[in-house]
Amino acid sequence: MTARAKALVSIAVAVSLSFSGCQAVKQGAADIIASTGKVSREDAQAIVKTAEVLRSTFAEITEEEEYYIGRATAALILSKYKPYGDKALNGYINVMGTAIAYNSDRPETYGGYHFLVLDTDEVNAMAAPGGFIFVTKGLIRRCGDEETLAAILAHEIGHVAERHGLQSIKKSRLIDAFKVLGSEASRQFNSEELAKVTGIFEGVLGDVVETLVERGYDRKFEYEADKLGITFAFRTGYSPNGLAEFLKNMEENQPSGPAAGWFKTHPSPADRLARVKPEIAALGAAPAKLGVRTARFAQAVKNLH
Amino acid sequence: MKKPARLTFLITAVLAVFVFLLAETIVVKIKTTSVRRDPKFTSPAVAAIKAGDTVEKLEARDGWVKVKTKAGVVGWLHSTAVEVKKLDLLAMDKNMKTQASSSEVALAAKGFNQQVEDKYRAGNAAANFAAVDAMEKVKPTAAEVEAFMKEGKLGEFGGSR
Repeated sequence: MTARAKALVSIAVAVSLSFSGCQAVKQGAADIIASTGKVSREDAQAIVKTAEVLRSTFAEITEEEEYYIGRATAALILSKYKPYGDKALNGYINVMGTAIAYNSDRPETYGGYHFLVLDTDEVNAMAAPGGFIFVTKGLIRRCGDEETLAAILAHEIGHVAERHGLQSIKKSRLIDAFKVLGSEASRQFNSEELAKVTGIFEGVLGDVVETLVERGYDRKFEYEADKLGITFAFRTGYSPNGLAEFLKNMEENQPSGPAAGWFKTHPSPADRLARVKPEIAALGAAPAKLGVRTARFAQAVKNLH
Repeated sequence: MKKPARLTFLITAVLAVFVFLLAETIVVKIKTTSVRRDPKFTSPAVAAIKAGDTVEKLEARDGWVKVKTKAGVVGWLHSTAVEVKKLDLLAMDKNMKTQASSSEVALAAKGFNQQVEDKYRAGNAAANFAAVDAMEKVKPTAAEVEAFMKEGKLGEFGGSR
């Protein structure tokens, strides 16, 4: 095959792969090229490899990789906070959170959504990439009804849906990873590569955990999650006033002393309240709060008080 | 004669690749999920499906995709289970100057898998993966979610809107 022809095919395949981007399709493309008998299998593989490098100009962290980052982030959060052992309460937030996730813009993630109550009086809620969502006992105590807790879960689902956690990863780490991996996208590493990639993985986790636990997201992500949370909760059938009520409670009952947990990692409740009010008003007639929901909430949280 | 014929052949081959790729075969990207009878999560599952499985796309509607599995079962998958959302991390910060192209980021990201998690776990005993495994085991069924929504008069069971 001439160099020119090879280049021509490479470009065409690259363009094609840009629209697809899956392993099976790549192999399929190589098979098709090779099956013509005009191009050797080796050439076919080389063409697809070239195409793959070009394809990845549409940069992406795959959902599977997001899942592994999320799992390890969750494992680090759970080395700092203990799970709260109330199975009924945990079951309640999982079924509620899943209902809201179904009504979100991203109901399916690689490993699915999972919710867990943390055994701490600190007021906080965190979402690790891929759908590992945590709310503290301290935060649930600040919720007066199901609508309010639903608003918190919906806000966290908003962070997951928009992949805010991944965006805290320092770009330099990804560049370092590229230096290690070169142009080969490997699924199985040799020991030297594995050590290097794992080092980079640790760095990535450091970035994500620092953002979730210590520093907080960029404000614009919090505002975006508020907006999405209102929408997702509303779609599920909850009153969107839940978030406004929670923020009002937080504004009126700020702890004295240095800010910690939620108060440290989030913009001021007053600031957020001012922004969410018009969003809620724009939804028009809101579903009413229902006694049946408030009653089951009270039942679920009865051991917290 | 040779050259033009060869070129024509190549162009045909390229077009064949195009057609192959544009055929409505899509790949599942979720670890495990269900193909459902109707386009909603509370609809009964008609087939179980996992990451990497290919399905034939028949129709798309309101965020759902009607598919046919390899076994010939027809049902619905949510679009987020099959579509790839592109996230260009380097493009997030428009002011940042970097030498890395976005393709480099994509390749770099290929690194985080089970092998890396195992290696990380071996060196970080404090990271509580056992608690994460327990967290992942709690997964309400669609029937439980439906019952919860029905009891709380949520979604389609509402009416107060």
